[in-house]
Amino acid sequence: MNSTPPVDDEPLQSPDEALALIREQQRSVEREQLGGVPWILGVWAVAWGLGFLALWSGYDGGNPWFQLPLPLAGSIFGALLVAAIVTSAVVGARIGRGVRGDSAFSGAIYGVSWVVGSAAVFVTGIALSRAGADGALLSLYYPAAYALVAGLIYLMGAALWRSLDQLVLGVIIAVVGAVAPLFGAPTNNLVMAVLGGGAFLVAAIVMRVSLSRRAR
Amino acid sequence: MTDLDPVIHAAARLRITATLASLEPGDRITFPRLQELLDMTAGNLSTHLRKLEEAEYVAVEKSHQGRTPVTFVTLTRRGRRAFEDYTDALRAVLGGEE
Repeated sequence: MNSTPPVDDEPLQSPDEALALIREQQRSVEREQLGGVPWILGVWAVAWGLGFLALWSGYDGGNPWFQLPLPLAGSIFGALLVAAIVTSAVVGARIGRGVRGDSAFSGAIYGVSWVVGSAAVFVTGIALSRAGADGALLSLYYPAAYALVAGLIYLMGAALWRSLDQLVLGVIIAVVGAVAPLFGAPTNNLVMAVLGGGAFLVAAIVMRVSLSRRAR
Repeated sequence: MTDLDPVIHAAARLRITATLASLEPGDRITFPRLQELLDMTAGNLSTHLRKLEEAEYVAVEKSHQGRTPVTFVTLTRRGRRAFEDYTDALRAVLGGEE
Protein backbone atom coordinates (compact mmCIF):
# COMPACT_ATOMS: atom_id res chain seq x y z
CA MET A 1 0.00 0.00 0.00
CA ASN A 2 2.70 2.44 1.00
CA SER A 3 5.23 2.15 -1.78
CA THR A 4 8.30 3.21 0.13
CA PRO A 5 11.75 2.97 -1.38
CA PRO A 6 13.82 0.20 0.19
CA VAL A 7 15.62 2.27 2.75
CA ASP A 8 13.88 5.65 3.17
CA ASP A 9 16.81 7.05 5.04
CA GLU A 10 17.07 10.44 3.32
CA PRO A 11 15.85 13.58 5.06
CA LEU A 12 12.32 14.56 4.07
CA GLN A 13 11.88 17.36 1.58
CA SER A 14 9.49 19.66 3.40
CA PRO A 15 7.59 20.09 6.67
CA ASP A 16 4.34 19.61 4.70
CA GLU A 17 5.53 16.26 3.50
CA ALA A 18 6.53 15.25 7.02
CA LEU A 19 3.20 16.29 8.56
CA ALA A 20 1.28 14.54 5.78
CA LEU A 21 3.33 11.39 6.34
CA ILE A 22 2.57 11.41 10.09
CA ARG A 23 -1.12 11.98 9.49
CA GLU A 24 -1.37 9.32 6.81
CA GLN A 25 0.48 6.74 8.89
CA GLN A 26 -1.54 7.36 12.06
CA ARG A 27 -4.80 7.14 10.10
CA SER A 28 -3.68 3.93 8.50
CA VAL A 29 -2.95 2.49 11.97
CA GLU A 30 -6.35 3.62 13.20
CA ARG A 31 -8.10 2.08 10.19
CA GLU A 32 -6.17 -1.14 10.60
CA GLN A 33 -7.04 -1.36 14.30
CA LEU A 34 -10.65 -0.11 14.26
CA GLY A 35 -11.72 -1.45 10.86
CA GLY A 36 -13.58 -4.36 12.49
CA VAL A 37 -15.66 -2.23 14.88
CA PRO A 38 -18.41 -1.29 12.36
CA TRP A 39 -18.82 -5.01 11.72
CA ILE A 40 -19.28 -5.69 15.44
CA LEU A 41 -21.92 -2.95 15.61
CA GLY A 42 -23.56 -4.22 12.43
CA VAL A 43 -23.82 -7.76 13.75
CA TRP A 44 -25.47 -6.44 16.92
CA ALA A 45 -27.86 -4.33 14.83
CA VAL A 46 -28.99 -7.52 13.07
CA ALA A 47 -29.14 -9.51 16.32
CA TRP A 48 -31.26 -6.90 18.11
CA GLY A 49 -33.32 -5.86 15.09
CA LEU A 50 -34.26 -9.33 13.80
CA GLY A 51 -33.96 -11.12 17.16
CA PHE A 52 -36.38 -8.88 19.04
CA LEU A 53 -38.72 -8.76 16.04
CA ALA A 54 -38.77 -12.57 16.17
CA LEU A 55 -39.58 -12.49 19.90
CA TRP A 56 -42.26 -9.87 19.33
CA SER A 57 -43.76 -12.20 16.69
CA GLY A 58 -43.65 -15.12 19.10
CA TYR A 59 -46.08 -13.78 21.69
CA ASP A 60 -49.86 -13.38 21.50
CA GLY A 61 -50.73 -9.74 21.00
CA GLY A 62 -47.37 -9.06 19.30
CA ASN A 63 -46.85 -8.88 15.56
CA PRO A 64 -50.28 -8.25 13.96
CA TRP A 65 -49.15 -9.56 10.55
CA PHE A 66 -47.86 -13.01 11.42
CA GLN A 67 -47.04 -15.09 14.46
CA LEU A 68 -44.10 -17.45 15.02
CA PRO A 69 -44.22 -20.39 17.41
CA LEU A 70 -42.57 -19.11 20.59
CA PRO A 71 -39.87 -21.84 20.72
CA LEU A 72 -38.87 -20.94 17.14
CA ALA A 73 -38.81 -17.21 17.96
CA GLY A 74 -36.69 -17.92 21.02
CA SER A 75 -34.30 -20.09 19.00
CA ILE A 76 -33.89 -17.39 16.34
CA PHE A 77 -33.17 -14.83 19.04
CA GLY A 78 -30.71 -17.14 20.79
CA ALA A 79 -28.89 -18.06 17.59
CA LEU A 80 -28.52 -14.41 16.53
CA LEU A 81 -27.25 -13.50 20.00
CA VAL A 82 -24.66 -16.30 20.00
CA ALA A 83 -23.51 -15.32 16.49
CA ALA A 84 -23.13 -11.70 17.60
CA ILE A 85 -21.22 -12.65 20.77
CA VAL A 86 -18.82 -14.90 18.83
CA THR A 87 -18.25 -12.26 16.12
CA SER A 88 -17.61 -9.54 18.73
CA ALA A 89 -15.18 -11.70 20.66
CA VAL A 90 -13.23 -12.72 17.56
CA VAL A 91 -13.14 -9.27 15.93
CA GLY A 92 -12.65 -7.51 19.28
CA ALA A 93 -9.66 -9.67 20.17
CA ARG A 94 -8.03 -8.70 16.85
CA ILE A 95 -8.25 -4.95 17.59
CA GLY A 96 -5.38 -4.87 20.04
CA ARG A 97 -3.41 -7.83 18.74
CA GLY A 98 0.32 -7.58 19.11
CA VAL A 99 -0.01 -4.80 21.69
CA ARG A 100 0.77 -5.36 25.36
CA GLY A 101 0.79 -3.02 28.31
CA ASP A 102 -1.60 -0.61 29.97
CA SER A 103 -4.21 -0.54 27.20
CA ALA A 104 -4.29 -4.34 26.96
CA PHE A 105 -5.29 -4.30 30.63
CA SER A 106 -8.15 -1.87 29.89
CA GLY A 107 -9.22 -3.99 26.93
CA ALA A 108 -9.26 -7.14 29.05
CA ILE A 109 -11.39 -5.47 31.73
CA TYR A 110 -13.77 -4.30 29.01
CA GLY A 111 -14.05 -7.84 27.64
CA VAL A 112 -14.52 -9.40 31.08
CA SER A 113 -17.25 -6.85 31.91
CA TRP A 114 -19.43 -8.30 29.15
CA VAL A 115 -19.09 -11.79 30.55
CA VAL A 116 -19.67 -10.74 34.18
CA GLY A 117 -22.57 -8.43 33.30
CA SER A 118 -24.36 -10.97 31.11
CA ALA A 119 -23.89 -13.72 33.70
CA ALA A 120 -25.30 -11.46 36.43
CA VAL A 121 -28.39 -10.69 34.33
CA PHE A 122 -28.89 -14.40 33.69
CA VAL A 123 -28.49 -15.48 37.32
CA THR A 124 -30.78 -12.70 38.58
CA GLY A 125 -33.36 -13.88 36.03
CA ILE A 126 -33.18 -17.40 37.45
CA ALA A 127 -33.65 -15.99 40.96
CA LEU A 128 -36.68 -13.96 39.83
CA SER A 129 -38.13 -17.03 38.16
CA ARG A 130 -37.70 -19.08 41.33
CA ALA A 131 -39.32 -16.30 43.32
CA GLY A 132 -42.41 -16.72 41.14
CA ALA A 133 -41.87 -14.33 38.24
CA ASP A 134 -43.90 -15.60 35.27
CA GLY A 135 -42.92 -15.65 31.59
CA ALA A 136 -44.49 -12.26 30.89
CA LEU A 137 -42.58 -10.58 33.70
CA LEU A 138 -39.30 -12.24 32.69
CA SER A 139 -39.83 -11.16 29.08
CA LEU A 140 -39.80 -7.60 30.41
CA TYR A 141 -36.87 -8.20 32.74
CA TYR A 142 -34.31 -9.87 30.48
CA PRO A 143 -34.13 -7.34 27.62
CA ALA A 144 -34.22 -4.40 30.02
CA ALA A 145 -31.54 -5.74 32.35
CA TYR A 146 -29.28 -6.78 29.49
CA ALA A 147 -29.68 -3.41 27.77
CA LEU A 148 -28.80 -1.59 30.99
CA VAL A 149 -25.65 -3.69 31.37
CA ALA A 150 -24.73 -3.17 27.70
CA GLY A 151 -25.39 0.57 27.89
CA LEU A 152 -23.22 0.97 30.98
CA ILE A 153 -20.39 -1.05 29.44
CA TYR A 154 -20.51 1.20 26.36
CA LEU A 155 -20.28 4.19 28.70
CA MET A 156 -17.24 2.59 30.32
CA GLY A 157 -15.76 2.08 26.84
CA ALA A 158 -16.45 5.74 26.07
CA ALA A 159 -14.51 6.74 29.20
CA LEU A 160 -11.65 4.32 28.51
CA TRP A 161 -11.08 5.31 24.89
CA ARG A 162 -12.57 8.81 24.96
CA SER A 163 -15.01 7.69 22.29
CA LEU A 164 -17.97 9.92 21.51
CA ASP A 165 -19.53 7.15 19.41
CA GLN A 166 -19.66 4.80 22.38
CA LEU A 167 -20.93 7.56 24.66
CA VAL A 168 -23.94 8.24 22.42
CA LEU A 169 -24.59 4.53 21.84
CA GLY A 170 -24.31 3.76 25.58
CA VAL A 171 -26.81 6.45 26.56
CA ILE A 172 -29.30 5.36 23.88
CA ILE A 173 -29.05 1.65 24.74
CA ALA A 174 -29.40 2.29 28.49
CA VAL A 175 -32.42 4.57 27.92
CA VAL A 176 -34.03 2.07 25.51
CA GLY A 177 -33.52 -0.68 28.09
CA ALA A 178 -35.11 1.39 30.83
CA VAL A 179 -38.03 2.65 28.74
CA ALA A 180 -38.94 -0.55 26.83
CA PRO A 181 -40.66 -2.28 29.82
CA LEU A 182 -43.00 0.71 30.18
CA PHE A 183 -44.64 -0.42 26.92
CA GLY A 184 -45.48 -3.78 28.48
CA ALA A 185 -44.94 -7.24 26.98
CA PRO A 186 -44.68 -8.07 24.15
CA THR A 187 -44.47 -4.52 22.74
CA ASN A 188 -41.22 -4.00 24.69
CA ASN A 189 -39.59 -6.36 22.16
CA LEU A 190 -40.65 -4.14 19.30
CA VAL A 191 -39.16 -1.12 21.09
CA MET A 192 -35.89 -3.01 21.59
CA ALA A 193 -35.82 -4.06 17.93
CA VAL A 194 -36.55 -0.65 16.45
CA LEU A 195 -34.76 1.71 18.83
CA GLY A 196 -32.01 -0.61 20.07
CA GLY A 197 -31.33 -2.33 16.74
CA GLY A 198 -31.70 1.03 15.01
CA ALA A 199 -29.12 2.64 17.32
CA PHE A 200 -26.59 -0.10 16.55
CA LEU A 201 -27.26 0.22 12.83
CA VAL A 202 -26.77 3.99 12.86
CA ALA A 203 -23.62 3.62 14.99
CA ALA A 204 -22.22 1.03 12.53
CA ILE A 205 -22.86 3.29 9.54
CA VAL A 206 -21.49 6.43 11.23
CA MET A 207 -18.32 4.62 12.27
CA ARG A 208 -17.84 3.04 8.85
CA VAL A 209 -18.24 6.39 7.12
CA SER A 210 -15.94 8.24 9.50
CA LEU A 211 -13.21 5.58 9.14
CA SER A 212 -13.33 5.73 5.35
CA ARG A 213 -13.40 9.55 5.40
CA ARG A 214 -10.21 9.49 7.39
CA ALA A 215 -8.77 7.28 4.69
CA ARG A 216 -8.66 10.20 2.31
CA MET B 1 14.19 23.31 8.65
CA THR B 2 17.56 23.51 10.35
CA ASP B 3 16.67 22.27 13.83
CA LEU B 4 14.44 19.35 12.87
CA ASP B 5 15.55 16.19 14.65
CA PRO B 6 17.58 14.26 12.02
CA VAL B 7 16.85 10.92 13.69
CA ILE B 8 13.11 11.28 13.05
CA HIS B 9 13.29 13.44 9.94
CA ALA B 10 13.50 10.53 7.47
CA ALA B 11 10.44 8.87 5.99
CA ALA B 12 10.88 5.36 7.39
CA ARG B 13 11.80 6.42 10.93
CA LEU B 14 9.09 9.07 10.98
CA ARG B 15 6.47 6.47 10.09
CA ILE B 16 7.82 4.09 12.74
CA THR B 17 7.82 6.82 15.39
CA ALA B 18 4.34 8.06 14.40
CA THR B 19 3.00 4.50 14.67
CA LEU B 20 4.58 3.91 18.09
CA ALA B 21 3.35 7.33 19.28
CA SER B 22 -0.22 6.39 18.35
CA LEU B 23 -0.11 3.63 20.98
CA GLU B 24 -0.96 4.59 24.55
CA PRO B 25 2.12 5.50 26.63
CA GLY B 26 3.27 2.35 28.39
CA ASP B 27 2.14 0.08 25.56
CA ARG B 28 4.51 -2.09 23.59
CA ILE B 29 3.94 -3.82 20.28
CA THR B 30 5.31 -7.03 18.80
CA PHE B 31 7.79 -6.71 15.96
CA PRO B 32 5.61 -8.62 13.43
CA ARG B 33 2.52 -6.52 14.22
CA LEU B 34 4.54 -3.31 13.89
CA GLN B 35 5.88 -4.57 10.58
CA GLU B 36 2.28 -5.23 9.46
CA LEU B 37 1.13 -1.73 10.43
CA LEU B 38 4.07 -0.18 8.56
CA ASP B 39 4.14 -2.53 5.59
CA MET B 40 7.93 -2.67 5.74
CA THR B 41 10.32 -5.55 5.25
CA ALA B 42 11.73 -7.06 8.43
CA GLY B 43 15.26 -6.11 7.42
CA ASN B 44 14.43 -2.50 6.71
CA LEU B 45 12.43 -2.18 9.92
CA SER B 46 15.29 -3.68 11.96
CA THR B 47 17.78 -1.28 10.44
CA HIS B 48 15.71 1.77 11.28
CA LEU B 49 14.78 0.47 14.73
CA ARG B 50 18.47 0.12 15.49
CA LYS B 51 19.03 3.78 14.66
CA LEU B 52 16.08 4.80 16.82
CA GLU B 53 17.38 2.55 19.59
CA GLU B 54 20.83 4.16 19.38
CA ALA B 55 19.19 7.54 19.94
CA GLU B 56 17.32 5.98 22.89
CA TYR B 57 13.99 6.85 21.29
CA VAL B 58 12.90 3.26 21.11
CA ALA B 59 13.36 0.32 23.44
CA VAL B 60 13.50 -3.17 21.95
CA GLU B 61 12.88 -5.94 24.41
CA LYS B 62 13.19 -9.63 23.66
CA SER B 63 11.24 -12.08 25.76
CA HIS B 64 9.55 -15.45 25.46
CA GLN B 65 5.96 -16.55 25.24
CA GLY B 66 6.24 -20.17 26.20
CA ARG B 67 9.06 -21.31 23.92
CA THR B 68 8.49 -18.77 21.18
CA PRO B 69 10.77 -15.74 21.27
CA VAL B 70 8.85 -12.45 21.03
CA THR B 71 10.32 -9.03 20.35
CA PHE B 72 8.47 -6.04 21.76
CA VAL B 73 9.05 -2.48 20.61
CA THR B 74 8.08 0.60 22.56
CA LEU B 75 8.63 4.34 22.31
CA THR B 76 10.69 5.56 25.27
CA ARG B 77 9.71 8.71 27.14
CA ARG B 78 12.57 10.40 25.42
CA GLY B 79 11.31 9.17 22.05
CA ARG B 80 7.76 10.35 22.71
CA ARG B 81 9.06 13.75 23.76
CA ALA B 82 11.28 13.94 20.66
CA PHE B 83 8.28 13.11 18.45
CA GLU B 84 6.17 15.80 20.14
CA ASP B 85 8.97 18.36 19.81
CA TYR B 86 9.38 17.38 16.17
CA THR B 87 5.68 17.81 15.31
CA ASP B 88 5.65 21.13 17.24
CA ALA B 89 8.66 22.26 15.22
CA LEU B 90 6.96 21.27 11.96
CA ARG B 91 3.85 23.23 12.87
CA ALA B 92 5.95 26.22 13.89
CA VAL B 93 7.72 26.11 10.53
CA LEU B 94 4.35 25.93 8.79
CA GLY B 95 3.28 29.09 10.57
CA GLY B 96 1.26 27.65 13.43
CA GLU B 97 -1.37 25.99 11.25
CA GLU B 98 -3.75 23.69 13.13
